[in-house]
Amino acid sequence: MCFKNLPIEFDAQGNAQLVGGVANPYAYTPREIKRDKLEELLARNGHIKDVSISPVTRVAGALSFHAVADLEKRKFLEANSVATIFRGYEVILKGRDPRDAIYISSRACGVCGGVHSTAACEAIEMAFGISPPPLGTVLRNIALSLDFLYDHPLHLFLLAGPDYSQVVVQATSPAMWEKAQVTDAPNAEIHQFKTIGDIMKGLNPLSGKLYLDGLKMTRTPREAYSVLFGKYPHPQTVVPGGMSSTVTITDFNETYTRLQKMIDWTKRMILLWDDLTEFFYDYNPEYKKVGARDMNMIDLGMWDDENSYDATYARCNDWGEARWATPGVVIDGKLVTTKLQQINLGLEEFVEHSYYENWSQNGVRFKTDPSGAPLSPNHPWNKETMPKPSKESWKDRYTWSTAPRWDRQVVEAGAYARIWTTAAAGKMPKNRFLESTGHSLKINMPKTMLPEMDFEWKIPEVWNAFERNRARAYCMGYNLMVAYSMVLKAFDYLRKGEDKVSTKFETPKGERIGVGFWGAGRGYLSHHLTLDKGVITNYQIVTPSTFNASPHDPFGNPGPYEEAVMNTPIIEDYSKPEEFTGVDMLRAIRSFDPCMPCTTHIYGGEREIVREVNTCACSAEG
Amino acid sequence: MGEIPEKRGGEAGSHLQRVSSTVGLPDQVGNVGRRTMEELAEDIVASHGKSQMSLGPLEKVYVFWLAGMSCDGCTVSVSGATEPALEDLLTGSLPGIPLVILHHYVLQLESGDHYMQSLLKAEQGLLDGPYVIAYEGSIPDENLSAEGEPFAGEGSLPLWAASDKRRRISTAEWVKRLAPGAAAMIAVGTCATWGGIPAAYGNVTGSMSVMDWLGADYRSALGLPVINIPGCAPVGDNFTDAVQAILLFLQGLGPLPEFDELGRPAWQFSDTVHRKCGRAGFYEEGTFAKEYGDKECLVEVGCWGPVVQCNITEKGAIAHMGGCMNAGGPCIGCTMPGFPDKFSPFYKAPPGSMISSYTSRVTGSIVRSLRRISQRERNREIRWHDTVPSGWAMHDGGTSFTHKILEFFYEAMQFQGAVPPERQPGKKFPQGHQSLPDRVYVEDYQVLPDERVKRDEKRP
Repeated sequence: MCFKNLPIEFDAQGNAQLVGGVANPYAYTPREIKRDKLEELLARNGHIKDVSISPVTRVAGALSFHAVADLEKRKFLEANSVATIFRGYEVILKGRDPRDAIYISSRACGVCGGVHSTAACEAIEMAFGISPPPLGTVLRNIALSLDFLYDHPLHLFLLAGPDYSQVVVQATSPAMWEKAQVTDAPNAEIHQFKTIGDIMKGLNPLSGKLYLDGLKMTRTPREAYSVLFGKYPHPQTVVPGGMSSTVTITDFNETYTRLQKMIDWTKRMILLWDDLTEFFYDYNPEYKKVGARDMNMIDLGMWDDENSYDATYARCNDWGEARWATPGVVIDGKLVTTKLQQINLGLEEFVEHSYYENWSQNGVRFKTDPSGAPLSPNHPWNKETMPKPSKESWKDRYTWSTAPRWDRQVVEAGAYARIWTTAAAGKMPKNRFLESTGHSLKINMPKTMLPEMDFEWKIPEVWNAFERNRARAYCMGYNLMVAYSMVLKAFDYLRKGEDKVSTKFETPKGERIGVGFWGAGRGYLSHHLTLDKGVITNYQIVTPSTFNASPHDPFGNPGPYEEAVMNTPIIEDYSKPEEFTGVDMLRAIRSFDPCMPCTTHIYGGEREIVREVNTCACSAEG
Repeated sequence: MGEIPEKRGGEAGSHLQRVSSTVGLPDQVGNVGRRTMEELAEDIVASHGKSQMSLGPLEKVYVFWLAGMSCDGCTVSVSGATEPALEDLLTGSLPGIPLVILHHYVLQLESGDHYMQSLLKAEQGLLDGPYVIAYEGSIPDENLSAEGEPFAGEGSLPLWAASDKRRRISTAEWVKRLAPGAAAMIAVGTCATWGGIPAAYGNVTGSMSVMDWLGADYRSALGLPVINIPGCAPVGDNFTDAVQAILLFLQGLGPLPEFDELGRPAWQFSDTVHRKCGRAGFYEEGTFAKEYGDKECLVEVGCWGPVVQCNITEKGAIAHMGGCMNAGGPCIGCTMPGFPDKFSPFYKAPPGSMISSYTSRVTGSIVRSLRRISQRERNREIRWHDTVPSGWAMHDGGTSFTHKILEFFYEAMQFQGAVPPERQPGKKFPQGHQSLPDRVYVEDYQVLPDERVKRDEKRP
């Protein structure tokens, strides 16, 4: 029984049904955001600071953040995550030939190269009733593991990294910089940075060795990606029922040598992030609270097992659990499900604090999923959002992001959620390099210039900004060994002569429904679509940053960025309020690896903006 | 490298001695390094010692990268560029090329108002160098969002004010404010150059390209209309290549970069992608891929390459590697003003290909068979006359009489008016493949193993 809040129960055979005797099972009364006291405090006290960061830099896309900080008690009293862009991709897809969905939805986000095209592709495969030949699936897995081998270094060294550099540490905590210079790095022998101070110097923007090498290292996997899939981002070889890459031995050899280049570097970088994290914890244990929040995560898994994946909804629990990253939901640190169907049923999106109107007056399109299990009117298959540009108000609506929830609980998505659900489930396919133990993920990395090394990512005892970054460093090792294993599999299929990479397809004319359960660099990614008479009738994308950047939900819970900032103590040095920089909250926000292009394309309704004269006096509210 | 010099300034230039830009500002929110990225870049140049910029009039150029309705894909592409690489431009490491001070939300050290204040300085003409705008994403019609927050916003004004006193500024407004004073306005990627997907049929945001938004009369401070570098995402090197070409020209070092009638760098976009496609030869010989994954020309499975201006098959996607059709991806015209609607539905053969691919099938079938004949002879050493001594089962029984006749005439034409190499009249090569070593070494040495066994059996 995985649901606490939704009125869904399971019978002896595991079939989901609504709990009997409830009149409006999915109804709720929205809770208002109250901030009268806060406004009073803001007006009265000089040390209560209205913090407005617009834009938050070193994230992908347009993010702003608003917070109210008590600089005397060194804590945050309010936090609002604001997405400041809206593009309306789904409405562009609506009414189109479904063959357009892959390449158009790919352009929802160019930060991860091909995650949207692949999610769209799996949704279309479900709707069309086709699935790829084994080498097609293996190729897809290679693409989507190379993708993150670019993505994680970008985050660790260019986006989040500078927050831990000499420049920033020296400016915001001079005493820590003094200490760092005389603290030996425990793994110096391997990563070659003698002291923690040396690591911090390495992270300096534009001049640090780690910064520059990190930038260069984002190119290596993209080279392999371009050789196999044409270009990065927006690969040109994703087709319904497989891939269109013309594979040759050279292509795989070139990929193989690039992976080899990354193995050495990854070994070093994992240990380096271990050293940096432990130093912050030792220096001041308060850092364990930066970006802290409940251990609630969601992931859909990815990297299909080529012999299990058949793109059917009926068998999605089976092929889902056979993936190289196991789907799952973690609530309070416990894995509550690994079944894709249950994850799908628990999904709802709310727009009470976003610039959209509710779609409920249009009725419920699907009361059940294709297997007869109950679906919420707020589920993406039912969602019809009407954008309604309104004035920003911290009490009312303040972002272009919606608020997706699972079982009406706030869950976060990320590469770390993916490694977490995979480690906790213990269901990873048996292979030479990776092993899921139920509490950790063991990663074996073969000998390169450095000797063969074993790493183990253990599910952490605390959950915060540092653990998110550390987990992402381990994810580099995880992805790398997935990529390596998949290249070996590809060689194997070529050796057996099974070199087919695609399946023939035809666009069905009847009503069809499909969903692509997949993952982005930042975790969870789903595309829900419906087709009729050969055109798309509804298209919905839910991305990891839609979860993470979400505003308050109607139940009064803040979104993950907001909650993480609220839990963040203000540790930085300042003697006067004017000197406050907000580095602790920025570390908290950046640890999620925000990606706003993904977040804010959401739209699935009529082709008109809802316009009305806005009379609310929100400009006076703040 | 790696360490920030303790003292700034010195001999490298007087501008380095000015006080840090953060002094005297109302607060430090978002300024986590208490020093801007721009100052870090200048520190690096100062640490190089003697100025390298003496090769031309420009010392530094500001580039403001703005994003509207974008997916950040253009940023990602440009971060992959290697010729020149981003880090070379940003650290002033290319002799003769001014230091490029990139002001980019994905890379900048500082956030919020400390990040935005440079845009205001640019607008007010307070920067100590010229500035260029690089714009990624299309521009929405913000009239449609007038009652609320903009579709695409960046920063809010006035700076340093409480959040309830601020107004979020749309990127469209920033473009209008900054474009007149910009030395150049560069639209990066298909959204910015032609509107792209946010401007496709069915969009609700009224999106358009930068040149549509600024109008045909727009000229930058240097007198240039909008420069367009299309592609979804563009080849990252096309952007840095164009920037380098423009800067070298301005420094008096490089030739005049030419632009076509739509503002594209002519040297990058004047040819169709098909002309330099690795599969164009298959097209010429009339052989076409039937399903995805096939190695032949992709026109019949949906490739628009023959009519698309793009250089990805020649330039590669990154570091001269990849390229859509090189890898097996049919071209969907993502560099073209008509993208996506005039190329939809994808995976369907373009109508124009019906005539052209039929024609090339007809001519190709003739050309192809003639080529195979010439190729067959060119696959033989000059010593091989009949049999071929290959262990790879190429014992084809030698050449036919017809082949010999054809080759006789072919060779006559080949050497018409020329002297065949090393072949004096009356001298001929010995027949067969037996050559010198056979006579030097024992007879068995050069014989194939199975023949050796047979010979052994015959021996008494």
